Amino acid sequence: MDTKWNNTAKAALPGETAEAPYTGSPRKRQVKAVAAFLAFFFGLSLVLGSLGAALGRWAWQRGSGDITVADWQETESFRQEVSSYLREFLELGAGEDLDWYNDWYGGSVTAEREVILSDWGWEVSDTPIATSEPANQYEKAKADAKYQDDTNVLYCIRRQPTVSDGSAWYKNVENGQVLRLYSTLPEGYNFLLVFENGQVSIRKDGAELDVYGDGIYTEDSDWFVPGYDNFPAGDNVNSVAVYMAFRETPIQYYKTDYGVQTSRMYWVYRNFQENREFWLTQAALLGAGVLLLAVWFLLRRERRLADGKIASWTIHVWTELRFLAVTVPLCALLPRLGSMAYELWYEILYEGLFSVYMLSYLGRALAASLENTGALLCLWWAVWLIRNDHKYNPKSERRSLWRHVSLQLPKYSFQKRMTWRNRIAALFMALLALACLFLVMSMGFSGYDSLFWMLILPVCLVAAAVLFVLRKNAALARDIGLLADQVEAIRAGDLSTPLDLPADGDLRQTAEALNDIQAGLNRALEERTRSERMKVELISNVSHDLKTPLTSILSYAELLRQEPLEGAAADYARIIDEKAQRLKAMVQDVFEVSKAASGQLPVQPERLDFAKLLRQTLADLEDPIHESGLSFKVDLPEGPVMVVADGKCLYRVFQNLITNALQYALPGSRVYLTLKTGKDRAEASLRNTSRDELPEGMDFTARFVRGDESRTDGGSGLGLSIAKSFTEACGGDFRVETVADLFTAIVTLPLA
Amino acid sequence: MNDTILIVDDDPEIVRAIAITLEREGYRCLRAYNGMEALDHALDPAVRLILIDVMMPRLDGLSALIRIREKRNLPIIVLSAKSEDTDKILGLSMGADDYITKPYNPQELVARVRSQLRRYTSLGDIHAEDRGSVIVNGRLTYDTDSHILRADGDAVKLTPTETKIVDLLMRNPGRIFPAEEIYRRVWNEDAFSCENTVMVHIRRIREKVELNPKEPDYIKVVWGIGYKMEQHG
Repeated sequence: MDTKWNNTAKAALPGETAEAPYTGSPRKRQVKAVAAFLAFFFGLSLVLGSLGAALGRWAWQRGSGDITVADWQETESFRQEVSSYLREFLELGAGEDLDWYNDWYGGSVTAEREVILSDWGWEVSDTPIATSEPANQYEKAKADAKYQDDTNVLYCIRRQPTVSDGSAWYKNVENGQVLRLYSTLPEGYNFLLVFENGQVSIRKDGAELDVYGDGIYTEDSDWFVPGYDNFPAGDNVNSVAVYMAFRETPIQYYKTDYGVQTSRMYWVYRNFQENREFWLTQAALLGAGVLLLAVWFLLRRERRLADGKIASWTIHVWTELRFLAVTVPLCALLPRLGSMAYELWYEILYEGLFSVYMLSYLGRALAASLENTGALLCLWWAVWLIRNDHKYNPKSERRSLWRHVSLQLPKYSFQKRMTWRNRIAALFMALLALACLFLVMSMGFSGYDSLFWMLILPVCLVAAAVLFVLRKNAALARDIGLLADQVEAIRAGDLSTPLDLPADGDLRQTAEALNDIQAGLNRALEERTRSERMKVELISNVSHDLKTPLTSILSYAELLRQEPLEGAAADYARIIDEKAQRLKAMVQDVFEVSKAASGQLPVQPERLDFAKLLRQTLADLEDPIHESGLSFKVDLPEGPVMVVADGKCLYRVFQNLITNALQYALPGSRVYLTLKTGKDRAEASLRNTSRDELPEGMDFTARFVRGDESRTDGGSGLGLSIAKSFTEACGGDFRVETVADLFTAIVTLPLA
Repeated sequence: MNDTILIVDDDPEIVRAIAITLEREGYRCLRAYNGMEALDHALDPAVRLILIDVMMPRLDGLSALIRIREKRNLPIIVLSAKSEDTDKILGLSMGADDYITKPYNPQELVARVRSQLRRYTSLGDIHAEDRGSVIVNGRLTYDTDSHILRADGDAVKLTPTETKIVDLLMRNPGRIFPAEEIYRRVWNEDAFSCENTVMVHIRRIREKVELNPKEPDYIKVVWGIGYKMEQHG
């Protein structure tokens, strides 16, 4: 039941164990997890994508913002287009340009219009276009030529009061009369605008539209047409009548003498449709996304498994790649921001840095960048993956190319690394010079301009200088590398090969100093080796040279004692024998302590039971202990205390310590031997009350030191020194503590 | 008795002292003061044992030892001021039968000489017997049937407990026995703070068997682990 998935989820989310245990087959769980993740992925992508696209469109203010109306003829852009058609036709009718814009924004709507007479303006009479003279006809035909073939807009322009005769100055219908009444409009046309007597009336789908409202033109008014109280038509157009009919569904192309053209009205219609489609699509996508997110919400528990699984894949992705995955989409988003920067710059210039416009521009700029939905989604998922990875994977397991390379680098020698660094620097330098060259050339300077050389020559000079320095550095790097190698060689023990650098090298002196150090080290080492050898030989020889006469003395002392001696002579013989025996012991001790001090003591470490060793030692010394009259209080652990030491060595330590205690302890007193185990060390201590007063501040472990200074007793004064040397040879610590007459020797060994 | 012993040492006083000691024990002594002289005397068929120093002029003890071994098979005891384990091992591996360090203990010296001579002369007897029940280890022999331990051919008087310990150790030379195991197998009781008891018995056996009980050759303590019977050739 317990699967790998289960484990990862539990391990990754330690804080959420309160959840009820999941019951279900692992297979089903996996399917659910995949489904949950897919729902999450697509849902969020759809929501983000549609929102981004919508925000971007809003920011760019593309298309008409009016998406609430379903009929394109009710949109602002349609009304604007109709208004401009009317104005253009009125201009045709009046034969002059009408500057309504200036009227309105000039502040005096009723002020006199600027009249620009065209060469043909007032000469135009009531004659219909068809019946005009050829030359004039051509002129006239040319005047409304661009409207002529567009059947999306039917028009008839004429001067009143010649309405009844049906003749028109300009028209693109056979019979201008059909445009007078809504009922007579041709099939497919549902919008009729009539301009008569300086007033506009509009019928759409047979119903009269309210054009003027309360009769006062304001910015909020729907129709920008003359006829308002504050925006009358003016004398020059009052006598012009315009009839326009608009097709319900515009067609795209119409034929002219010059070829196929796309209708103006079609663009209005098309933009409206396209805009509407866009918003509907985005709404649909958003809805689908929200639906998928709901699915994810229901399956969110399973999705965590998928998250964990994904995290286990993304762990292998280098940090640098993650960085790229974030920066590339970010860079793709930024140009949108940049294209608005120009606008932003003027806003800052004119409005100051902190203004409402500023904020709105920034908001728009941000929204505009979101329109690049591909980059937006890439960025989002890159960030999400990184976050997910950080959530499930410990920091230590993240991989990075840089770290990878850094770990590989030490494999290469110093010289190689420096060489490569120099090469990379040289490469960048060359690229920089080339970039400068291209920049200068792209600015239009060529070899014939003096400015070209003024710009290029310094760049070339700098590049040459840098290359020269890099070349010098390469030589230096080689020398440093040799120096590093030499240091390494000296550490490895090569003390005979000196380093020879070129005489002009920057590091020549350093190399010579290193050679001196090497030579000095070599000398010191040779001397030390010689003195070590001499010391060992000395110990060995002195020992031998002492033992040989001692052998004779002991032999003859023994023989002497066997002779029948009288009175004092027998006593003398006994004294000689005793002292010779003591000398023998001392020679033995001196030999051993010297060997131990010079590290010549052969130790054979093995795993042994410290407690047992102490018991054996006590048993071994049972007789002398018994004879001493001292009582031993022994406190040893029941179980084994395993240490790694040389048993013989350690036995000698405690043999010496106990012998020491027997020799110097207050008669009849107690001696305490305890063994305690710490976390990783075992500590044995031997405590006894000294027979004589212990001098303060004395190093008992120094050679030939005894509790009493007189040195008339049997000890060699080396017992504690041997104990210390031998303990240290076993890898332990030995120390002595004295408090008043209480003498404590402590031996610590690391536990095995 | 009257076995002849060759004493070799470059120090005449030591040679004399050893000679006096051995002559008091009834041996006859030949004296040599360097390796070359030793070679001359060693061919004397009367010589039954050689005591030889290592560091000597003209020819050192170990070289002389090797040359003598080429000609004669007799007990040779090295007597040296070199007391290192490595020196002892070197001497024994060169063909010496025993190794005594200077300054020597006269009693021990006599005991070792006697032991070597006994083994040398009675070696044939042991091999002639060649009974399956007899375990031979150096100068010790142990009959597993009769439970008799002999050192240099002499039966050693042991108590029943000591005999049991010896039985265990002689049958397993080289193996280390913790005190608890010895106690369990000999006393047939659960071992509880038995170290002392076992050690007391071991020490007593040593005193009866070893030539120098303070520096035992056979029954050894392995510190911190247990006890063992050293295997000798």
